[in-house]
Amino acid sequence: MLTVLLGRSLVAFLATSQIGIEGGDLNEFVQGFVKAFQLIITLDPQVVDITWRTLAIALSSCIISTVLCLPLGSLIHFRRFPGKRILINIVQTFYSIPTVVVGLLVFILFSRIGPFGVFNLMFTPTIMVIGQVILVSPIVLGLVISALSGVDKGLFETASSLGASRVQAVFQVIREARYAILSAVTMGFGRAISEVGLALMVGGNIRGFTRVITTAISLETSKGDVELSIALGAILIFMALLVNIVLNRLQQK
Amino acid sequence: MKRSKILFALVGLLLITLLASIAGCAPGAEYPVAQPKARFKIATTTSLYDTGLWYYLEPIFEKKENVELDIVYAGTGAALNQGKSGNVDAVIVHDPDQEKPFVDEGWGINKRSFAYNFFMIAGPSTDPAGIKGLEPVAVFKKIAEGGMKDPNNIKFVSRGDNSGTQGAEKRLWANAGYVYADIEKSGKWHTEAGQGMGPTLMMANEQNAYVLCDGSTFTSYKGKLALVSLVNKPSEATLNIYNAYAINPAKVKTAQIKVANDFINWLISPDVQKMIGQYGVKEFGGPLFYPISDPTYPAIPNLTDNMKPVQ
Amino acid sequence: MALIETVNIFQNYDGREVLKNVNLKIDRAEIFALIGPTGAGKTTLIRILDLLEAPYSGRLFFDGVDVTNPGVDQLEVRRRMSYVQQRPLVFTMNVYDNIACGLRWRHMKSATIKRKTEEALELVGMTSYKDRNARTLSGGETQRVAIARALAAGPEVLFLDEPTANLDPVSTSKIEEVLTRIIREQKTTIVMATHDMSQGQRFAGRIGVLMNGEVLQIGSPGDIFSSPGNREVAEFVGVDNILSGVIVDKDNSLVSIDVNGRFIQAISDYGVGEKVNALIRPEEITLSLSQDISSARNTFNGRITRIFPLGPLVRIEVACGFPLLVVITKRSAEDLNLTIGKEVYATFKATAIHIIRS
Repeated sequence: MLTVLLGRSLVAFLATSQIGIEGGDLNEFVQGFVKAFQLIITLDPQVVDITWRTLAIALSSCIISTVLCLPLGSLIHFRRFPGKRILINIVQTFYSIPTVVVGLLVFILFSRIGPFGVFNLMFTPTIMVIGQVILVSPIVLGLVISALSGVDKGLFETASSLGASRVQAVFQVIREARYAILSAVTMGFGRAISEVGLALMVGGNIRGFTRVITTAISLETSKGDVELSIALGAILIFMALLVNIVLNRLQQK
Repeated sequence: MKRSKILFALVGLLLITLLASIAGCAPGAEYPVAQPKARFKIATTTSLYDTGLWYYLEPIFEKKENVELDIVYAGTGAALNQGKSGNVDAVIVHDPDQEKPFVDEGWGINKRSFAYNFFMIAGPSTDPAGIKGLEPVAVFKKIAEGGMKDPNNIKFVSRGDNSGTQGAEKRLWANAGYVYADIEKSGKWHTEAGQGMGPTLMMANEQNAYVLCDGSTFTSYKGKLALVSLVNKPSEATLNIYNAYAINPAKVKTAQIKVANDFINWLISPDVQKMIGQYGVKEFGGPLFYPISDPTYPAIPNLTDNMKPVQ
Repeated sequence: MALIETVNIFQNYDGREVLKNVNLKIDRAEIFALIGPTGAGKTTLIRILDLLEAPYSGRLFFDGVDVTNPGVDQLEVRRRMSYVQQRPLVFTMNVYDNIACGLRWRHMKSATIKRKTEEALELVGMTSYKDRNARTLSGGETQRVAIARALAAGPEVLFLDEPTANLDPVSTSKIEEVLTRIIREQKTTIVMATHDMSQGQRFAGRIGVLMNGEVLQIGSPGDIFSSPGNREVAEFVGVDNILSGVIVDKDNSLVSIDVNGRFIQAISDYGVGEKVNALIRPEEITLSLSQDISSARNTFNGRITRIFPLGPLVRIEVACGFPLLVVITKRSAEDLNLTIGKEVYATFKATAIHIIRS
């Protein structure tokens, strides 16, 4: 997803640079990067605002999703019930649900004429968080269940035999799987931070209010203003890299 | 075990901070922390947005009215739908064909026109279809014929959405004797961008194609495009009037009618009309928009009524 | 009153009966060994006793309370017991935290937790391993941590499932050292499942023999090993000579048994005409090259059919009308210059024979 975005930005930028009337193509190209670098170094207020908001929204959705999916995942994992396999399969199917489909769902539900319209949440960061929670939860839920399944089945009983109550034993299993669970959350974060369809549809890309890195890049690039796009793109890549490094470290444990 | 308690507390603190910041404010913005202000949402056509006019006007209105002005970017059709869905409290559009049912069905009230410009046709400097200086009817005929014969050299990019610009374009095709639906199917010389005015210009630019654009947006993209203005004469056929509507609270109970009326009145107030007329003059050498009160071109018939503030 | 008592316990897995009519009483502070071959049901029985599994039918009493009763708080009872599995699972944390887990779950005060954890570490000799990641330990070290973990909370009963089955001899002796220390210093009741009979013999006060889900015999080590109650137990505990015959003569408790035409003198209360099995441990038989005049009542001549070296010992099969398995030291074998086919005399006392019904 990120590579596609960056690819598009790059293509658009290259296209723009072809219209470098004075100064030549390469000059414009380099200039764009230089200006972008300046924006980051000088902590340009727009860049800071957009970056901060992107982080806040993605982190919030991840945390909320984890708070919801960790208990739910534990419940599904530890209990036996008919259709458990099918449920898990459905969850996994929604790992890569298109962001615009979630956007559509949220729009239908939270638009003023929709059932939850009374909350007046369209075009607010709150609805973006809600949407991202819906988007990211299948991943977090499915991977939490995977993580718990990866713990030796005997561990629960070992804990019980050492005097753990049912709840305490569940927590011990969760503790055993902590790195895998953190990986799950990190993956959710990666998806949240790099999606654009949902943010655009329900957030409205309002400057200073619901504009995030992905939607900003999308808008600025399509208008041909790429310095901001490059700056934001660089930040997004940096964050994606960080996510990757963290994920690698966690998965090695 | 103590470690995990501390971690838990930190995460909880982070969560609270984040949620509070989303609800309240973010660093880098000038909003006070104390109380979230009322939010007034409008949907605007892309041609106004892409010129940067709203960036210019937004802070002025916000300061005056002490509300947060949220501007959502949408073509005329989409903007009207957002109005009907109650997601915005006012709409700024420019398509008489779509506006009529919007008003007749009672969705939009207190219509005021506040600015106008003219559509123009831009294209490659080589002008392979030879349309420079012609009348709109002839222009579209030549482009269609040329495109169907020589699709690699003569191309046209339409908006391809429910925008006012697309509406105007359809009318111009019709005047030239073509049904738009046929144009869509007639070959690869014609493409639809499916995006706002600015992005559509960029796409036409990449394809070296002809495109119908409003004068303001094209001017504001000076220096970014290789396309040149080929047909740009003020005329009845190319007149483009921007109208503001408040959403009718009788139909959409949550519409904030008071702020909407204030907003509309503000747009037609003499100060703002003057600002609109001066926008872009320094940067681009001439105005991007004509305020509706400008007598240079008699844009609308009932000017006096239009200039009366909404009660 | 016994600390643990089972009454008619049955257990099924997928319709297969794995425990049949188990009746056991285990007293406070006793060391009870549960011996039997793999698959006999030892682990299943221990799991039931530790309240990890519910029996198919039957009752279980802990300290006089019927714990199979649904009204009983099983967690409370389970917290008075601890279980070290055959392959213990350590938690992914350091050794200290592994041991402290059980204490934390019981909501003890942090000072108490610290003290008890350190005591447990000291007991198994792992104090220097405190901060090691428990997952990086060797088999023997893991076992010791598991034992410390189980003992830290001071359980009244400690269940050990094959504590040294997967360990090398050095680790095994270390663990047995720890067990010896625990038994000496604490009053914990220990129930130990093992297939190592000599281990059972060394540690246990009483032994229960479990085979195919049934308790075949319960008794002191001496009883089990010298006087196995039936043929299966005898075979399991290493009584290699099980001779079938009929009592043909009796003089007080001295009986004469006809085994394949030869007559064995033994001590028994059974009567004439009874079909019996004479059990003789191989170590109780001596070999000589000429007929010994000794107090031993039984001397048979025969030929050596097989010789198996067994480390410092030698196992010799002698055919003397019935097959006899004899175990003597390697030294003795060399002194006698024993070879296959050689004629020897096998001698054993009447008191060395254990008679059971056939």
